[in-house]
Amino acid sequence: MLLPAGSRFSLKHNILSILMTTVGIIANPISGKDIRRLVAHGSVFDNQEKVRIVRRIMMGLSSLGVQRVMFMPDYYAIVPRAQKGIHSNIELISAPMCADNSQDDSTKAARLMAEAGVGCIFVLGGDGTSRAVTKGNATIPILPISTGTNNVFPFMIEATIAGLAGGLIASGQVSPEQGCFRPTCLEILNEDGSVRDIALVDAAVHTDTYIGSKAIWSLDQVSQIFLTRCRPDTIGLSAIGGQLHTISPRELQGLHLTLGTVGTTFTAPIAPGLIEPATVTEEARMKVGDTIFIKESPCVIALDGEREVEVRRGEHVSVRLSAQGPLVVDVSQVMATAQQDKLFMH
Amino acid sequence: MTISKKKMIEMYTTMYRIRQFESKLQEFFAASKIPGFVHLYLGEEAVAAGACAALNKEDYITSTHRGHGHLIAKGGDLKLMMAEIFGKSTGYCKGKGGSMHIADVDLGILGANGIVGGGGPIATGAGMAIQYRGEDRVAVCFFGDGASNQGTTQEALNLASAWELPVVFVNENNGYGISCPISKSMAITDIADRAAGYDMPGVIVDGNDVTAVYEAITAAVARARKGEGPSLVECKTYRWRGHFEGDACTYREKDEVDEWIKKDPIPRCAQKMLDEGILTEKELDALHAKIDTELQEAITFAEESPLPEPADLFEDVYA
Repeated sequence: MLLPAGSRFSLKHNILSILMTTVGIIANPISGKDIRRLVAHGSVFDNQEKVRIVRRIMMGLSSLGVQRVMFMPDYYAIVPRAQKGIHSNIELISAPMCADNSQDDSTKAARLMAEAGVGCIFVLGGDGTSRAVTKGNATIPILPISTGTNNVFPFMIEATIAGLAGGLIASGQVSPEQGCFRPTCLEILNEDGSVRDIALVDAAVHTDTYIGSKAIWSLDQVSQIFLTRCRPDTIGLSAIGGQLHTISPRELQGLHLTLGTVGTTFTAPIAPGLIEPATVTEEARMKVGDTIFIKESPCVIALDGEREVEVRRGEHVSVRLSAQGPLVVDVSQVMATAQQDKLFMH
Repeated sequence: MTISKKKMIEMYTTMYRIRQFESKLQEFFAASKIPGFVHLYLGEEAVAAGACAALNKEDYITSTHRGHGHLIAKGGDLKLMMAEIFGKSTGYCKGKGGSMHIADVDLGILGANGIVGGGGPIATGAGMAIQYRGEDRVAVCFFGDGASNQGTTQEALNLASAWELPVVFVNENNGYGISCPISKSMAITDIADRAAGYDMPGVIVDGNDVTAVYEAITAAVARARKGEGPSLVECKTYRWRGHFEGDACTYREKDEVDEWIKKDPIPRCAQKMLDEGILTEKELDALHAKIDTELQEAITFAEESPLPEPADLFEDVYA
């Protein structure tokens, strides 16, 4: 079999398996446009930029010989537009679904892609988009690229490199054992113990009762925060925990903070350009399986920075740290493996 | 941002008032009781209700050809509106303007507008007057996705930003300019994306969630009042009816309409208020009955009012 024009992959690898490889792309057209452009200083992340990012992913994939992409249909047609701008022989397959322009689209598309057996799913969006994708897929590696507002989970990375790394994982040139990791996540549990929703980075108890414009830009009504990870140099609610501890994405532990008026006060960047004081009254490390009951009712639980779960009056939920987060491509690790195995050598 | 119970009831009341007003007009048009065209706002009520709830009486709005909702939300008199749409001499324009020309400057309503994209320059002009006079006011420009393609709208956005005017551009993206879907008429289908080209914030909210609209417009109005310039808020919504009454709507599928009707902003808000104990079922029924009575009074007023006299044709003529 002839190599595709421009292919740079090593002949050491199974050409047929690479040519049979399909990757998934879920690009959220709505990410990067929420109210934090008004109440903070978030950038407008326009869809044209997402098109350009997808183009660069496709160039990376194409150079490896990957020839098929399954994509989530969206009202802006991000992936088809991306292909129009390049001369690529990548075959595009729309995930068989009707988009209803909600976050459920990402969940549905991820599930369909996993069922179709794609080798890797690229996710363009913020923390919330990766969360939605994880709800639909727990087995296929995802490669999240930041096009959102508070981006702790996805990578701020050049898309060309992401395309190469995702292509290497999808085609099996780098195995998931070598190039992926599975972080923790937070599960929001109903009273009967069933999982109602999840968060990848943070869950916050908000004492208001409506979802509204979703984002959180003030801590006045935030009483508790649960974190799967934190560092002093991140943004969003995890930045508060980052003033106390560092928990890396690979660590199987979390952090529970209670906020109030008495305690240790820190300033933390909770949104782009928005640095607020936060008073931590109590803190506790969480181990996998630890479950904490939420006393507030009614309230809203914000997941990865967005008000999502309405807890009605008299209803109660709990938050549990789980080891079953998504399987995530570690771009640096994949590229280091490729270097070590000389995968790009001619 | 906390939304008080009073504000929730206010916004719900406005949405329900608009819904009932427009539903009656739908009936009257079908029965040939009203002259001229009407463009109904059914399905989009949360945008006008949420946006105007963030304004003071002194603030200005500019509206569109689909303007009844905006006018009602800003406090327009139902009797005068209904009489105008009936073409009666007691109406806002003495029965000579009809649906698309209703204005009430005392309420800050700078007019519905028969010209697509006609409101932008008026809102920017109002913003300039506010700035020049040093007033604590803002101007809100309601405009549709079709209007966003008009040069007038782009000029208004540009100048408002260049002069840092207190204007909030509220886009009602209902997916269609007359019969043309935005995917066929616009290179960029998120109108908020255009804000960056004018150096202003652009955000998208669920236009069928009155609380989301209220939060976003409140934030944009706060920026404008502080002298931080204009903003563009795109509200994703849908019009249930055709572009105008009588439009056969052959350009869209029934399934699409049905999906959006499931997202009806009014029962969504009602259920929230019931869940949170803001209102009981009985109180909600009483609220509905009060508005229905108010509307019936407006209809009776319009029906019983006289038509303009032929000689009135020569009055209020300026050119």
